[in-house]
Amino acid sequence: MIEYIGEHTWAGQLGHVLAILSFVGALLATMSFFLGERGKKLEWIKLGRLGFRLHSLAVLGIVVMLFTMLFKHWFEFDYVWKHSNLQMPLRYIASCFWEGQEGSFLLWTFWHMVLGNILIFKAKGWEAPVMTVVALVQVFLATMLLGIYVGDFRLGSSPFLLIRELPENLGLPWTGMANYLAAIPSFADGRGLNPLLQNYWMVIHPPTLFLGFASTLIPFAYAIAGLWRRDTNGWITPALPWTYFGIMILGTGILMGGAWAYEALSFGGFWAWDPVENASLVPWLTLVGAGHLMLVNKRKPNSLFSTFLLTMITFILILYSTFLTRSGVLGDTSVHSFTGDGMLPGLLVFLLFFIALSVFMLIPNRGQRLYFVLVSVALLLIGVLLELQVHAILLFGAICIGMLVSAYRNAFASKEPEESLWSREFWLFIGSLVLLLSAMQITFSTSVPVFNLLLEPFDQFFGWIAEKTGSSFFADLSTAKLAPPGEAIAHYNKWQVPFAFIVTLLISFGQYLRWKDTDLKKFRRQIALSFVLALVITIIGVLVLQYRLAELNLIALFFSTTFAVVANALYIPTVLKGGLKNGGPSIAHVGFALVLLGALVSTSRQNEVSRNTRNMDLRFLNEAFNNNEDILLYRGDTVRMGEHYVRYKDKTQKAVDMVFNMEYFNVDPKTYHNGDTVRVGEMLFRSKTDHQAGKFFLEDQPANWEPLETFPQRVLWHAREWTSTRPGAPVFQLAPFVQLNPRFGNVAEPSTKHWPDRDLYTHVRYADLAMASDTADDLGCPTGCTKSKWVTRSSPHRPWPLSIV
Amino acid sequence: MKRNHIIAIVIIAVAIGALVGSLYDSSTYADLDQAMAHPGKEFHVVGTLDRSEAIIYEPSLNASLTTFTMLDLQGKRCTVHLAKAKPQDLERSERLVLIGEANASGEFEARDMLMKCPSKYNEENKVDASDAFSAKR
Repeated sequence: MIEYIGEHTWAGQLGHVLAILSFVGALLATMSFFLGERGKKLEWIKLGRLGFRLHSLAVLGIVVMLFTMLFKHWFEFDYVWKHSNLQMPLRYIASCFWEGQEGSFLLWTFWHMVLGNILIFKAKGWEAPVMTVVALVQVFLATMLLGIYVGDFRLGSSPFLLIRELPENLGLPWTGMANYLAAIPSFADGRGLNPLLQNYWMVIHPPTLFLGFASTLIPFAYAIAGLWRRDTNGWITPALPWTYFGIMILGTGILMGGAWAYEALSFGGFWAWDPVENASLVPWLTLVGAGHLMLVNKRKPNSLFSTFLLTMITFILILYSTFLTRSGVLGDTSVHSFTGDGMLPGLLVFLLFFIALSVFMLIPNRGQRLYFVLVSVALLLIGVLLELQVHAILLFGAICIGMLVSAYRNAFASKEPEESLWSREFWLFIGSLVLLLSAMQITFSTSVPVFNLLLEPFDQFFGWIAEKTGSSFFADLSTAKLAPPGEAIAHYNKWQVPFAFIVTLLISFGQYLRWKDTDLKKFRRQIALSFVLALVITIIGVLVLQYRLAELNLIALFFSTTFAVVANALYIPTVLKGGLKNGGPSIAHVGFALVLLGALVSTSRQNEVSRNTRNMDLRFLNEAFNNNEDILLYRGDTVRMGEHYVRYKDKTQKAVDMVFNMEYFNVDPKTYHNGDTVRVGEMLFRSKTDHQAGKFFLEDQPANWEPLETFPQRVLWHAREWTSTRPGAPVFQLAPFVQLNPRFGNVAEPSTKHWPDRDLYTHVRYADLAMASDTADDLGCPTGCTKSKWVTRSSPHRPWPLSIV
Repeated sequence: MKRNHIIAIVIIAVAIGALVGSLYDSSTYADLDQAMAHPGKEFHVVGTLDRSEAIIYEPSLNASLTTFTMLDLQGKRCTVHLAKAKPQDLERSERLVLIGEANASGEFEARDMLMKCPSKYNEENKVDASDAFSAKR
């Protein structure tokens, strides 16, 4: 046994013990709360609380330990070495904490733990069944942090592993050195945090998002509890505030992610339909659907099955997203998905277990439940023992769907007459289903890599169809090598714009409908003003923003979002008579519609002003190549770009950031004087008058310019080209920068000028980053060329354009 | 037929439409041979950078054109025109996913590229460690 020098072995051991304690505590709580609910015994519930407190303390302990390790820079620990270093500012310790797989699971567990403790105080009569579910989820999450081996299979992954304990390092010679920490230079400093994440958004975005994720568990737990007690209505009232809390927090988290992407990352927008972004949006959509159905069914059972389905599917989608982004199944398709690290089986079991639990609870009779359990266990055995996982999962899916249909027919199908067509509940129901469809579409397209795995058993079948019909679509399916849509944004927009249209349309008139039935005359009178106003605004908007007829879907969405804003804003003074007590929904709807309207206008009216004017034309290579993305600037250059002249002044290094200073000038008309000489192509012209240049030389020429017949070639070279404008007064400066990071690669961060009506977004695409080029290097350069190269890409988001050049 | 049945049918139809639509819009992973066999069709080609050939990026000619040579997973070699500025870390990339199409002259025209850079962790630690170990002996 070697006595290692300088290791904080105790910290790792304490961490492991705490991880095991958190698992044991959660298990104890699950079983005690379960027995407490079964036997209605207070003793068991008390034991359950004790177990959950033990679990809570252990989770807190793990959090404290991990922070301590990061804070003290104990680089012998793998997690600390991988995610932090000495140079990093202290404020990013939090970012290091949740950058990795284990840390983010810990963050999620932490929020569940906090919410669980609130439930123990607040849930009253519902405590036992609800806490059974919460604690059960915690059992699964706790195993993700255990990192212990069961045979050859590793259960979870621990953040408390020493680097020398990693499987790939076991038995290497250096692990036998007692003083390895001092002797090996690599251990003096960690790898550091990915520069993309060294950002204050990384400090506030993940905790918010994970609190949102965590809060979807509570409605799920209440739904299971309701089914367990066969009280299919009673669970809704206590679950309702949690649902809206989740909608608010998760929504805030998503918006923060968008703001981060736009303000600080060089993605060039706030939403790119990336799998990781979708993973947070999809559960939000179904949660909103569930929340609205709860409002309907709180009063009287009307669409209970859908309420259960949406509530449960929200939590299951959270698990599915976790599976998708963390198991490595997405592989090459996302820029920021995790790489698996052997988490796939654990996450898959986690997901399938809760799907099975949800279906099991929805089945109304004992016999069918038993049958479902037997079949599920049989499929699990077939999947594991016979290595037929894909077949087993497909069969399981089919059986779940069959069970759900039968459960609906037996227990939920309404025997009462259908609700009126013009009732609020009917359209809320429709709206929730549209949200579900929207979520499904996003899920399908994000899951393309999963289809490759699931469609494998059908390869021969698709191949056979392809042979018979000669269809290349089926031929692609049979090779099972599908990649995500090439034009991802266009693909998602094609589907989501119509969904958004229907949803915003429903938002606008939904509240004007009454429960049960609506007096249509009154309805028309109340809504007419909003409708006309929205129509007028839309017409003005279409004219100002120059929407073309080909963009009819965008015009429709423009109208429906405007309608939603106006109708909900007017709902408070007209229907509520100014009473703000019931105005909450209207205000929330106005906010949501404004977000959509802003996203619609800014993304559809975004253009790149950095036209690449003086370089070779890329379209000779490929017609689809975009020529206008980047503009090239040498240091000191002043170039026309959109509505400004832009000048690359200089660059300065501030710590790890190479800052590029850009000056923007007004565009002023150019004035020529009598006798000025300009070059146009291969010809020289002399001005006959004092005049202000027009838009085109050919228009100015007859009145103002005379061609020079003979001139020395030297004069032609030195003459300036005719321009219609010149740089005017400086208006503002932007300073995009490149964060230098030799280990992860440099990261360009944008700088954006905001006006009330538009933005100008600039970032460095490519630059000579050597500071030395200011001095010695420049000598080697031909005259007229400095070595610093500058490429900037600017795209203003212009909600209301001034004039399009 | 009750109204709820109509709604259910519409929902199922749209869901199936979305499923088929997402499959239909999908691109395809392929190797260079397949891409060359269908010039003009969009593929995702996975491969690595051929470090023995030069990376040509001349911003003064065009700031949005990078030309280099790639090797696909079968080891086939091909010239790539990428319609983007040269990514800062191209030289160090360990895996490339090129999105684009082959042209008639057997070159690959990439509209976009995803790049995976190595986590230098393992190699570095091992190299350094063995050095230190042998130095000690």
